[in-house]
Amino acid sequence: MNRREAILATSASARYLPPSRLELLRILHDPDASAGTLTRAIERDPTLTASVLRLANSACFGFPRSVASVADAVWRLGTRNLRQLVLATVVSPMQKQAVKGYDMPPGDMLKHSLAVAVGAEQLGSLLKAPGCNHLFTAGILHDIGKIALGTFVELDARPILELATCEELPFVEAERRVLGIDHAELGAFLADKWNLPDEIVEIVRWHHEPEKLGGRNPAVDLVHVSDALCILGGIGIGTDGLRYRPSEEVCHRLGLTEAATEQQALSMILLGLEDLEGAFC
Amino acid sequence: MPAKKRIVGIADLAASADHDEQLVAYSLGSCIGVALYDPVARVGGLLHFVLPDSRMDRKRAETRPALFADSGVPMLLKTAATLGLEAKRSRILAVGGAQVLNAPPSLRVGERNFEVLRKILDELSLSLDTAEVGGTDNRTLFLEVGSGKAGVRTAGGETKYL
Repeated sequence: MNRREAILATSASARYLPPSRLELLRILHDPDASAGTLTRAIERDPTLTASVLRLANSACFGFPRSVASVADAVWRLGTRNLRQLVLATVVSPMQKQAVKGYDMPPGDMLKHSLAVAVGAEQLGSLLKAPGCNHLFTAGILHDIGKIALGTFVELDARPILELATCEELPFVEAERRVLGIDHAELGAFLADKWNLPDEIVEIVRWHHEPEKLGGRNPAVDLVHVSDALCILGGIGIGTDGLRYRPSEEVCHRLGLTEAATEQQALSMILLGLEDLEGAFC
Repeated sequence: MPAKKRIVGIADLAASADHDEQLVAYSLGSCIGVALYDPVARVGGLLHFVLPDSRMDRKRAETRPALFADSGVPMLLKTAATLGLEAKRSRILAVGGAQVLNAPPSLRVGERNFEVLRKILDELSLSLDTAEVGGTDNRTLFLEVGSGKAGVRTAGGETKYL
């Protein structure tokens, strides 16, 4: 078995989330699932129900009367908001852990993932780009390959960092040369294994190399740029630092051509993150 | 080693005269950490700013001055002055301002952050003693208030005293 095959095998057999929560992820993205199905699935999980109610009652939603039940939360938040909130809650135990291989302390991966998700949505409205229903989820999950590599494969990042630094390579390219696979491909492999929608798999797969898709999926572009902005802002970055090469072609395609827009977007991401982080504390 | 660590988060600042304290700014990407230390008063200050220019959002600059260089630096000086720091006799260090690889013109905030910081200091007739900026490293800046020792750490790298 070569290095790549060993990494795929270890990643595939690791336990990221309890099976009931993986099942919930699937229900969240099933276009045929009704509000009732969603409500019942949440109510079967008491910890999740408590978190959903706590979040729905947090200051960031600002409801005057308290939200007393999951059905009430569905009614007041709408299924789209509720799905996003549940998704973030479902995956947060996995994201809260330290990602040792990338030298990320506990909490940093969650912060980065939330920021990229919020940022992708906000960039979409700022630049009037066509959105997609799975944008927020894909933002939350875009770096699951790093969790697999950095936690379960027990990655030694030093040779990758050395190669990336000496040859001025993007970190994903150095990962491929050293490991035979990069965190984006590994993440897409996991998203596919969890039966998430193809659109999410595609965003996770190409978030560092969107030009390879040639603009077919605008959501990939949004996650790509949001990720670049969060990396620049130092929101949850590790050993890989700023060793990524954002695509100029994508910046043009999205209309991100002015420095002022970059600054405005970064400021919006920080503000959005403050709101969400507050809700998670 | 100082006994207490005070983390200066993104878009935040702190000043201290507590000699057991260390001020730290983690994960400086394109953001810049500005450290001040007055060896006579033995007072230190640290700013972790994100963006160069507050003209884009005056209201936020009022509620969160440390977000921007042009509102953050004066606020840092003012806060540290209340503890007795005098800017003219202080060491001033800057760390961060990194870039992504082959940064497109619309993603060069790190470079602009450093340009604007220098301009602001110049206008205040102050200058940087040391700067560790640019490149693609994710850096951490710390300042020990008791000794005035300051240093920078990069991910996977050694600590370098400045």
